[in-house]
Amino acid sequence: MSQEKRTPSPGAWIAVVLAWVFPGLGHYYLGRRSRALVYAVLVTVTFVFGLSFQGRLYSPEQGAPLTLLATFAVFGSGLLNIAGRLLVENPRGAILAVTYEYGCAFLLTAGLMNLLLMLDAYDIAAGRKS
Amino acid sequence: MTVLAALFPTDHFLIMTLYALLVSIFFSVLWANERRERIRLFAKIFGALVLGGLAVAWLMYPFPK
Repeated sequence: MSQEKRTPSPGAWIAVVLAWVFPGLGHYYLGRRSRALVYAVLVTVTFVFGLSFQGRLYSPEQGAPLTLLATFAVFGSGLLNIAGRLLVENPRGAILAVTYEYGCAFLLTAGLMNLLLMLDAYDIAAGRKS
Repeated sequence: MTVLAALFPTDHFLIMTLYALLVSIFFSVLWANERRERIRLFAKIFGALVLGGLAVAWLMYPFPK
């Protein structure tokens, strides 16, 4: 069984980068405008709830290798993550807050959602998904 | 940012339900193309997250903090 290998167009990589910059932007670029709006709202709302629940915007820490994975997940949010770090008073979160763990879960989920959107944008641009 | 959190009660079940709602809408839009299929997938994921969360909480209840 032979599999046909297609070379993705440069547009596919543009869509991936745009998808990382802001949730839904890659889909908007590919003409999936209504989906793009839904994704933008969902990921942004999840991220903002994460910040409001005083979750942590992870950075790598020595002696804690799992923070590398968490940092990768959070950086998936693109500009939201950068804006969050600049605008929020304490990007490390409030560990004593009741909602701290929830906040972390929301922030990590927002980043992972956006990473999935980047892959989805690539698949659409490469013709693997309608 | 804490204004939004202040609007939302710090109730474990409500926050878990909000999380389940956002995640299930996301995956139903990502994975399904037709409206009917989307609604079915949303119901499945939402139900699995909320009921699964309650089941795990119930199983963990006897354990000390």
